[in-house]
Amino acid sequence: MTGEAEDRMEDGGDELLAAEYVLGVLPLDARMAFAARLEAEPPLRALVAAWEIRLSPLNDDYGETAAPASAKAALDRRLFGGPAARETARPALWQSLAFWRGLAVAALASLAVVLIVPFTVPPPTEPSARFVAAMQADASPVRYVALYQSGTGMIDLTRLSGEPASGRDFELWLIEGGNAPRSLGVLPAGETARVPVSQQLASLVSSGATLAISDEPAGGSPTGAPTGAVLALGEMRGI
Amino acid sequence: MQGQADQITELIVRTGLKDRSAFDRLYEATSAKLFAICLRVLRDRGEAEDALQEVFVRVWTRADRFAASHHSPISWLAAIARNHCIDRLRARKAPARPVEEAFDLAADEPGPERLAELSSEGRRIDACMEELETDRAEAVRAAYVMGYSYEELAGRHGVPLNTMRTWLRRSLMKLKECLER
Repeated sequence: MTGEAEDRMEDGGDELLAAEYVLGVLPLDARMAFAARLEAEPPLRALVAAWEIRLSPLNDDYGETAAPASAKAALDRRLFGGPAARETARPALWQSLAFWRGLAVAALASLAVVLIVPFTVPPPTEPSARFVAAMQADASPVRYVALYQSGTGMIDLTRLSGEPASGRDFELWLIEGGNAPRSLGVLPAGETARVPVSQQLASLVSSGATLAISDEPAGGSPTGAPTGAVLALGEMRGI
Repeated sequence: MQGQADQITELIVRTGLKDRSAFDRLYEATSAKLFAICLRVLRDRGEAEDALQEVFVRVWTRADRFAASHHSPISWLAAIARNHCIDRLRARKAPARPVEEAFDLAADEPGPERLAELSSEGRRIDACMEELETDRAEAVRAAYVMGYSYEELAGRHGVPLNTMRTWLRRSLMKLKECLER
């Protein structure tokens, strides 16, 4: 291969990046950055879907392994809040519960956006710094990965496991040096979340700063400091 | 086979309408496949069980998006499972795989018989894989099935990371070209 072709390959473009993402070979930071773009760019999602379909025959290699019976019971408790009541469905009740809860969360989330958006940093022109944090804590099921990009002024979070107890919320905190935790806001429900970082806090983001998630009353800590257990935390690493 | 795919399609669509009995049947029909994926990628039974739950939570919440995709039902479900498990794998702090797990690992990989069996099905992707150099085809397959990172693949094949990246990128584009031929 000529040097030039090598360079083009190095550069890759979205087609190759999508292929690498689907194949799964990217390191955490590149994977997070790509996932953040996926949320915002439908053409990229189409590239990913095409690769998923293209490589899907390889799924045959996995075969099948029966999951333990306890897994379904745990899943049902988690989704529907009780042991599975097969056939005797009570869909009306849980559906409306889930619906109203969803609505309340959506309302909170949009309120958070209204409150936070005015302080959002406009994208700076200097070269973008990126930090990634893998967040977890002993004896806590809550795990997130987070990516901060100074270019967007946003922290993109992907939830790997865990969710707030009923009537509680997850709140995200930035801890820098020996200073008290600074709130980055309540995390909206869902697998992914995009949290804007105010200009003031953006200056505190650095390698070695810590992101943490605490368990808080609905709507977030009433005091401005974490009041509940720290469920996950991780150090930000520059990339 | 087609009948089964149609059935699963219907179950996903009904799950999208929050039909819980359809979701139960979808779980019955597909959890063994998705659990096998989680187990193979994460290589830890406890974590694979957690991951399986997360995967089905996503299936429950995202099922209404299936209709707009071009995936077959199983490839759609498998993509959710692989994505989630690879996210978990990459987020692990410690070296992803303790040594003792590496032994199980060898047993986990499809043996020559299984590979022959897969090829004899005459699938297009196998024909295309055969057009690649053997070690590169193996690297692509191991990356997909086991969830190896570039770094791990480079170590396993004893080549620099950049070489592995170039191998895989070229192989992927060749595969694409072959599959579309």
